[in-house]
Amino acid sequence: MSNEAHIYDSRTNWENGVDGHLSAARALVKEGRSQEAIEAFLDCFRSSPSANVCVELATCYERIGDSESASRWAGQIVNLTDDYSAWQRASGIFQRCRKLHGSTNESALRVAVLGSYTTAQFVHLLPLALVRPAPASEIYESPYAQIDQEILDPGSGLYQFRPDVVVIVLHEGGAQLPEFSALHRDAVASEVSRWTNLWSVLRSRTNARVIQHNFAVPGLVSMGHLSARVLGSRYRMLHAVNAQLGEEAGAEVSIVDCERLAAWIGKHKYFDPRYWHLAKQAVALEALPLLVKHTAAVISASMGRNRKCLVLDLDNTLWGGVIGEDGVAGLVLGQDAEGEAYVAFQEYVLELKRRGVVLAVCSKNNHIDAIEPFATHPEMRLTLDDFAIFVANWNAKAENIRLIAEQLNLGLDALVFVDDNPVECAAVRQALPEVDVIQLPPDPADFVRTLGEYLCFESDWVTQEDANRTAQYQARAQARQLEAEAGSIEAFHRGLRMEALVSPFTVGDLPRIAQLVGKTNQFNLTTRRHSTAQLLDFMHRSECVHLSFRLRDRLADHGLVSVIIALQEGHTLVIDTWLMSCRVMGRTVDAAMLSVLCREAKQRRCKTLVGTYVSTDKNAVTATVYGQYGFDLMEHAPDHSIWQYDLEAKGIIPAAYIHIVHPGEIGNAVS
Amino acid sequence: MPFHDQVVEVFRTVFNDPGLTVEDHMTSEHIPSWDSLKHINLVFQIEQNFGIRFTTAELARLQCVGDLKRCIANKLRITLSS
Repeated sequence: MSNEAHIYDSRTNWENGVDGHLSAARALVKEGRSQEAIEAFLDCFRSSPSANVCVELATCYERIGDSESASRWAGQIVNLTDDYSAWQRASGIFQRCRKLHGSTNESALRVAVLGSYTTAQFVHLLPLALVRPAPASEIYESPYAQIDQEILDPGSGLYQFRPDVVVIVLHEGGAQLPEFSALHRDAVASEVSRWTNLWSVLRSRTNARVIQHNFAVPGLVSMGHLSARVLGSRYRMLHAVNAQLGEEAGAEVSIVDCERLAAWIGKHKYFDPRYWHLAKQAVALEALPLLVKHTAAVISASMGRNRKCLVLDLDNTLWGGVIGEDGVAGLVLGQDAEGEAYVAFQEYVLELKRRGVVLAVCSKNNHIDAIEPFATHPEMRLTLDDFAIFVANWNAKAENIRLIAEQLNLGLDALVFVDDNPVECAAVRQALPEVDVIQLPPDPADFVRTLGEYLCFESDWVTQEDANRTAQYQARAQARQLEAEAGSIEAFHRGLRMEALVSPFTVGDLPRIAQLVGKTNQFNLTTRRHSTAQLLDFMHRSECVHLSFRLRDRLADHGLVSVIIALQEGHTLVIDTWLMSCRVMGRTVDAAMLSVLCREAKQRRCKTLVGTYVSTDKNAVTATVYGQYGFDLMEHAPDHSIWQYDLEAKGIIPAAYIHIVHPGEIGNAVS
Repeated sequence: MPFHDQVVEVFRTVFNDPGLTVEDHMTSEHIPSWDSLKHINLVFQIEQNFGIRFTTAELARLQCVGDLKRCIANKLRITLSS
């Protein structure tokens, strides 16, 4: 074959489609022309993203010494495949490239894995799956099947490792339950308390989040169908333990529902006895990527790193057909089998919205055409009110998506974009790499599955705030508009008639407070990720001032949006934590909070307030916030600054636009 | 691709080493990273690539390249030249 045959030209290869690009790319790899091969693989990926292309791209990048790009492309496979071989190869590249970057990374997420079976393969794949929430992670793998010992022994490797996250990896054989027990209630209770005891020991010794695998109940049981009727069967007891572990976990422990995953992939595939006998590998390698991926998604959710907003295309996404051409009467929606599939997808999207995912539309259409089905098509499940923002015009989608993020005051990395059109998907992927892009499959019956398997909206806790989020985001978009109309910012703030309900932390608010502490990035002065246990501890210390703020205005109830924790040291009140949901930034809530804190300080006879700003990648917006409110700069370093407010000389900071309500002063200020 | 090269491909993928030399006489002693965990990945990958299934005894026994190839060939009913 002559050399010319391999000169890569993306235009000529288009004629042969993806396969043409692929064979051209592979030929270039064989000739050692990695740079040109990369161009060819990138073209393949643009037209049809696949895991194999990602791995081949990563390999090429590694070969030319670009380890940054190599690990990025290796990380791309996580959402594209559950194939063990692809994961294995991508993990290998990923870890080699990470090593080149230097193994000791201060900001790396420290994950301890304690397993009841061989976890070497699990541990090998985990850093790759965690790449989104934690670009760098360090893993500690406990000795084989020593979960109890590692947790109970204060001198164990687990505690020396100082984990941020502890993952308890279990198989059903790890449950201390007999095949049958007449005293099944006791047997179940004792297995449940084994785990709850271990959790509390962990909590007393570390601040790590606990991620617990539950038991995948075997698909084969000697008692057959009878075991479903016999409470004392191991089968029934395992189910009972799973149910009770879920209840006991509460807000503080996250569960990975291995039972559901095993059922999903098929229990006969989840467990391969040969690998168990050979290597005590209790989850078949084939099933491992699924398990690792879900574990990472649960860890990510517990860190508050899940996506918040789903941006949807309209034509051939929410309905079949093109509204601008086919008209409402010509749309495929309801009526027949294919139409039912679109209805089912709309219902799934609606469920996501009820769970707190914010919805947006980004469509290339005339606005008037785009809204018509919502008004007149009888089979529409989604209504215009379900969307926080609705953008239908002829601009580039990437531009519109950027606008949507701005209007909702969300980072691009909080967005998931769904479209049926590969060209649109590729364009958005290229222009906005932070946005998750999901390209829908050709058959609408597969839409729900495609979105569901993406795991981007896994969440850690259901709060009222989650459920009300769309209303709040809608209100914010309206407020932006008011801001434009009101002329002066003062008039805007006054016009909102804001009220803040200030309260010390309560146990009922704790899940929401922990969620804010865990995930607030922008308005967060110190970014200290206190655990729920630590927050409880603050509540019990008399020298600690802990305040939560709920904000409402005439447009919406924003819920619990801000938290402040300060510790009294003699005549000084030192602010440990101060953060605010980005949903209410620019609403003078910061002034109101400092005002309340000043009053609290005065009551405690404090003379000064001290605040620290610790800089991160995301909180630059708060770098000088203390200065804005009259604090004096005491110490300035590249990574932090310390500020002091002379309360005696300067008096209480005014809260100009927000009416402050204390609990007891109002009956039902906030539901 | 000749049968031997297909087997070599699997070894190179699993051991993450595109330049790995694989010859019939080799055992886990010649390939230092061929430990018990890599062995599992290896036999899994061979099962996937060749569409075969080893017995538990075979899984445990096949710690030499030549033995592995003979076992695969047997299952695929192909004759090895050497």
